[in-house]
Amino acid sequence: MRKETKHYDLIILGRGAAAFSAAIKGSEISKGEMTIAMIGTGPLGGTCVNVGCVPSKYLLEASHRVFMPKHPRIDGIYETIVDHDISAVMKGLRSYVSDARESKYAEVIKNYNNVTLYDGLGKFLDRKTVEIGDDREKKIGIVSGSNILIATGSHPSIPNIEGLRDAGYLTSDSLWGIDKLPSSVAIIGGGSIGLEIGQALLHFGSKVIIIEALDSLLPQTEPEIGSALRALLEKEGMQFYMRARIDSVHKYKGRKLVEIITHKGKEKIAVDEILVATGREPNTGSLNLEVAGVKTDSRGLILTESSMRTTSPGIYAAGDCVSKRLFLETLAAREGVIAVSNMFGETANIDYGSSTWAVFTYPQVAGVGMTENEFSKKNGSCLCRTFPLSNLTKASIMGETEGLIKITVDPKDNRIVGMQIMAPNATDIITEGAYAVRNGYTIDDIISTSHIFPSMSEGIKIAAQSFIRDITKMSCCVE
Amino acid sequence: MEEKNVKLRIYGMTCEDCVETISRSLLEQQGVMDVNISFQDGLGEVEIDPTQLKPENILKNQVFSRNSHYKATLIE
Ligand SMILES: Cc1cc2nc3c(=O)[nH]c(=O)nc-3n(C[C@H](O)[C@H](O)[C@H](O)COP(=O)(O)OP(=O)(O)OC[C@H]3O[C@@H](n4cnc5c(N)ncnc54)[C@H](O)[C@@H]3O)c2cc1C
Repeated sequence: MRKETKHYDLIILGRGAAAFSAAIKGSEISKGEMTIAMIGTGPLGGTCVNVGCVPSKYLLEASHRVFMPKHPRIDGIYETIVDHDISAVMKGLRSYVSDARESKYAEVIKNYNNVTLYDGLGKFLDRKTVEIGDDREKKIGIVSGSNILIATGSHPSIPNIEGLRDAGYLTSDSLWGIDKLPSSVAIIGGGSIGLEIGQALLHFGSKVIIIEALDSLLPQTEPEIGSALRALLEKEGMQFYMRARIDSVHKYKGRKLVEIITHKGKEKIAVDEILVATGREPNTGSLNLEVAGVKTDSRGLILTESSMRTTSPGIYAAGDCVSKRLFLETLAAREGVIAVSNMFGETANIDYGSSTWAVFTYPQVAGVGMTENEFSKKNGSCLCRTFPLSNLTKASIMGETEGLIKITVDPKDNRIVGMQIMAPNATDIITEGAYAVRNGYTIDDIISTSHIFPSMSEGIKIAAQSFIRDITKMSCCVE
Repeated sequence: MEEKNVKLRIYGMTCEDCVETISRSLLEQQGVMDVNISFQDGLGEVEIDPTQLKPENILKNQVFSRNSHYKATLIE
C-alpha cells in the first residue's frame, strides 16, 4: 500500500441516491463501525434531489395549478386565469430543492461519523485503490477500500447536431436556473424527461414542440398508452414531429432555427429555446475501470449480477451507472442497499421484474412487470384486458376519462404478470400492481379484495373483472 | 491440501470475550482450520480448506447472522 494511502472498509464513488442508501445501510449493519469514504463532486444528493425527480415534480405540480383552473372540466365551473410569476415559481423551486438537499442529505450524513466526504472525482489505480482528483485532474488524495461501490450515476447525452452547441440549449441539468418562460421550446426527445418538462412548460404557457426519432412515444409502454397520452398532449396544444431527425440548428434574429427532417421532407421551425432530452450516459468513462477489471456494456454501463457484484471481486455497482432497463431513484437506492447487504454475506438480489416505473405527466403513466408483447414473445401466448377510464365512475365524475388500465395475465393460471395505468394518480395506484406481480396474485385475488367506490383504484378491480365478464353490461355494484 | 488465508473485517466486538465467541463459532464451521482475531483492529484471519468452504460462506456463519450483534465483511 502506498504511504499516503488512507484505508477504508468501504469506498463509495458517488454521492447520489445509490451512494447515500449504501452508506446508511453499511453504517446501520455495522452499527457505525464501517469506515466509509464517499467521493463525489457537485451538490450532495446527486441527480434526484438537485436536477431530477424533485425539481421536475415541483415544476409539474406548479404548472398544473396554473393550467387546471384555465381548463375546468365540470359544468358550471368557469375558466379562471391564475395570476403567477414564473421567476418567483423558479425561485420557490430552487429554494425547495436547496431545503430538501439540506434536510435529506447534508444534515443526514452529519449523523454518520464513520462516513468521510471527499470532494473530487475518483479513478481506479488498481482493484483496491482509488485516486481522488479535482475536475482538472489535480490529485487530492489516494484511498484504498476492502470493498468498493461504484455509484457515479449519469449525465444528459448531447447528440452531435450541427450548430447545436453554438445556438445554445438547455438540458435537465440547466433548466432549473431559468427565470423567464421561453415562449416557444423545441424539445429533442419524447421520452419521460422530455414529456414531463414539456408538459410543465406547456401548462405555464409555452408553445412546446417535441421532436422524436421513433414513431411512438414511450416505447416501454403499451402502445394504447403511448397513443392515448400523445392524443391528450396534442389536445392540450403540444406539437409532435415523430420519426424526425434534426439536420441542423442555427441562431436566427435572436431565436433558434431548427431544421427537421421527416418523411415529408425538410422543415424549419423557429423557437426561443431548445431542450435536449435524448437520454443519459453513464459517468464511467474516466473511472479507469479496465485496471480494476470492471466490465461495461457497449454504452459504458457497468455489468452486474443481480447481487450488484461487478466482474471484479469486491467491487459492486448501483444506480444509473449500471447496465439495466429502468433508471430510477427508487432502484438506485435499492441497488445500493443490496450491494452493501451482500458485502456482509447476506443473499440479496434486485428484482427488476416487479419494479414500478412512472412518467409524471398529467394524467400520469405508471407500470410494473411485462407488457402484453413482452409476455407473448417469451411464452407464446398471453391474456390481457384494457379498461378505459371512461367506464369508471370516479374518473367520469372528475371529467378525466382519457386514461386506461391494462392488465396482462399468464393464461395458464391467471397470475398477473404486468399492469400499466394512465390515470391522474397512476403513480399511487400502481403499487397494487406491484404487489400482484411480486407475489403472483391472480385476477381473482384482485377481485375479492375490497376497493373503495368510487375511486381510481376501483378501476384496477374492474379491469380484473373484465377478464371474467363484459363490464360494459355490468352494474357498478357487482362484486 | 493447501490452506487459504481469508481476511475479515469484524464489526460489533466490545471486549476480548467477543473474540472468544466469534472464534469458537468459526472454528465449529466445516472447513475452518484456524482463526486469529484482533479485538483492537477489528480484524480477523481465518485459515480455511478451500475444497470444503468458500471464503464468502464464512460470512454465513451463525455468529454473523441477521440477528447477531456481530457482522463481518471480506477484505478481498
Ligand atoms: C429530470 C429527471 C427527472 C427524474 N425523475 C425521476 C422520478 O420522478 N422518479 C425516479 O425514481 N427517478 C427519476 N429520475 C431518475 C433519478 O434521478 C436517477 O435514477 C437517480 O437519481 C440516480 O441516482 P444515482 O445515485 O445512480 O446517481 P446520481 O444521483 O447521478 O449520483 C451520481 C454521483 O456520482 C458522482 N460522480 C460522478 N463521477 C464520479 C467519479 N468519477 N468519482 C466519484 N463520484 C463521481 C456525482 O458527483 C454524483 O454525486 C429522474 C431523472 C431526471 C434527470
